[in-house]
Amino acid sequence: MSGRAKRLTLQELDRLCRRRQASGAAMPAYAGPLERHVQDGDRRLLRLEYDDSPAALRLWNFLLTEEDRLHEARAAGRKIVGTMKDLGTVPVMAYSLPNVVAFYPDGAWWTPCVMELSEGLFGIAQSLGLGDAFCPVRAMAGAFVNRAHFPIPDLLTCSVGATCDDFSAIAQRLESLGYPILWWEMPSRRRPEPGEPAVALPGGFRAPESQVALVRSELERVRAALAELAGSPLGDEELTAGIREANRIRGLLGELRHLAYAADPCPMPALEMLIAEMLAIHFCSDRAESAAVLAELLDEVRSRTTAGRGVMPAGAARLFWVNPVADLRVMNLLEDCGARLGGTEYLFCHALDAIPGDLPPMEALARMALADPMVGPSVDRAARIVRDARAFGAEAVVVSRIPGASHCALEGTIMGRVVRDELNLPVVELEVPPVADPLWPTLRTRLEALVETVLERRKR
Amino acid sequence: MISAGVDGGSRAIKVVLLDCRTRKVLASGVCDQGVDHDGLARKLLEQLLKKADLARSRIVRLVATGYTRNAIGFADTTVTEITCHAAGVRHRMPKAATIIEIGGQDSKLLRLNPDGSVRDFAMNDRCAAGTGRFLEVVAARLNAGLEGLGDLARAASSPAPISSMCVVFAETEIIGLLASGARPEDIVAGVQASIASRVAAMVGRGAGAPVVFTGGVAMIPGMAEALAAALKTPVQIAPDPQMTGALGAAILACRQACGR
Repeated sequence: MSGRAKRLTLQELDRLCRRRQASGAAMPAYAGPLERHVQDGDRRLLRLEYDDSPAALRLWNFLLTEEDRLHEARAAGRKIVGTMKDLGTVPVMAYSLPNVVAFYPDGAWWTPCVMELSEGLFGIAQSLGLGDAFCPVRAMAGAFVNRAHFPIPDLLTCSVGATCDDFSAIAQRLESLGYPILWWEMPSRRRPEPGEPAVALPGGFRAPESQVALVRSELERVRAALAELAGSPLGDEELTAGIREANRIRGLLGELRHLAYAADPCPMPALEMLIAEMLAIHFCSDRAESAAVLAELLDEVRSRTTAGRGVMPAGAARLFWVNPVADLRVMNLLEDCGARLGGTEYLFCHALDAIPGDLPPMEALARMALADPMVGPSVDRAARIVRDARAFGAEAVVVSRIPGASHCALEGTIMGRVVRDELNLPVVELEVPPVADPLWPTLRTRLEALVETVLERRKR
Repeated sequence: MISAGVDGGSRAIKVVLLDCRTRKVLASGVCDQGVDHDGLARKLLEQLLKKADLARSRIVRLVATGYTRNAIGFADTTVTEITCHAAGVRHRMPKAATIIEIGGQDSKLLRLNPDGSVRDFAMNDRCAAGTGRFLEVVAARLNAGLEGLGDLARAASSPAPISSMCVVFAETEIIGLLASGARPEDIVAGVQASIASRVAAMVGRGAGAPVVFTGGVAMIPGMAEALAAALKTPVQIAPDPQMTGALGAAILACRQACGR
């Protein structure tokens, strides 16, 4: 195969879908034309451009049918756990139980984007006192109130402490509305004092043993609650098996990221890679299918890499992207401006690392949770960005801020300074709200200027 | 051979015609921006060609830049104003290390490498308080044209503190200052200091010297001094500062056409 992979409009992607259906190609039960989601109100999908592979079609279908899966799980009598402010720990525990499905209510933050605000989740949040000053995650509160999205979970867990002030406030408001929450504490990760007993964390960091012990004890409370909900024990054996499955997904994603961000030409668009990376946090309410979706995507990327087939011409400017964008169109824009992804740090990079398999499972999960970039200093995050940007050969760094997200207030300055000092790369900060249309010219100018800067640097 | 640069800014359109061999400016001009970006730019270009007695066919390449660059249909290509201002300033001031550009709608910081290429940049286009728009508001409120602001600022004895972070609220603050008897001269100087402080915040620590100030706002007397005070470093004004974007576009057009 040669030539460029194409980006398709929603209508073109749906034609591909119908052709595959007509040809009798094997497709999962949830697959179908994406236009049905537009009819449901997700009008923003019409503005996106999609990768032209069947693997990407499956990825999008999988993402957009999560609410259906949750309702089916409820109808089938399975227990549903909402794992709030959790970037990849409690879902691993929940999916270790056979009759439990976990999901990520915070994921509702994307709903105002894909629905172009028409659904009014922000309006509901505003009426609850959660206005513009809060992170777009406030949309979740609206989804709990209007009950038009996910089913109300049987158990809600939420980490609190060093994770996110915004989210804590939103979750507390939710609890005041009558949704009880099992809170578990996450301390602010600190460097061990000289002589203080310490342990290694995934991602290359170290933390005091006492902090890991605290997180472990907090997660033990979550374990007990999950077991009680499921009506069956959640022993180390079950957890070890659950960790093994989670690591399988992380392994698939690791290989996918390596190929997608290192190969030239770039074999998979930035938009699909963003969606794929998100699967590592919460499995999109179906762990086994997550693995299958990622495996198909990886096959496609391997095939394109072998054939030298990319979504951009070879030599496109390689941008390292920090933080997920609230408006998915910006990932299309990145390529429209002549750039490609050369690495990412979407604030949940710890969920991409393998959970240590040589430790007791609760100890391994506690260390994993404490490796969350959000709970440590921004310089730790910057160190990881430097390491990964160097590994992927990134030529510039984009720090994408989310309006109202408190973890973003100062981190851009710190990360920018470290990246400039260590790698001498240009760093640009963007602010991307859920619907970025009014900012389109300025976003385009910044990205185009960054690409021009990168190309000029190559001549030096 | 002639190259052309068109800078379609938010408030004005600027055009430069450049001799590709000598790199000398053959003609340059400015007109107000309007609704028909392409038509206005085209008209200005034709006027300049006529004035310089040059045929359109002698233009070997034309680069458009600025906010409306993608609307300039007769351009051969577009380049962002970041790259163009760097090229334009370095053409005139080869030692420039830091460029501050303040236009009608945004402000920019460019850090340059020793060879003149852009090392890094930052932009403010979300808040009018760091742009020429703030000066337009105060000029209107004081019934003084933009060109008169410099004279007013020069006569200031004690710049009025403007504490509002938003131009809309700052305008209210200015009304209050006037009502309390503050001198218009001191208010203008206060607004200039306010803009400068916002730009200084964007610059952060360590603006490499020499710092060059360009863009339309650099033509307003007093602004460079306000910037120098905020940055605590000398600030030089680029020659013909309003034209540096268009000049840079013409230079890049020339490089693209001639390969040098």
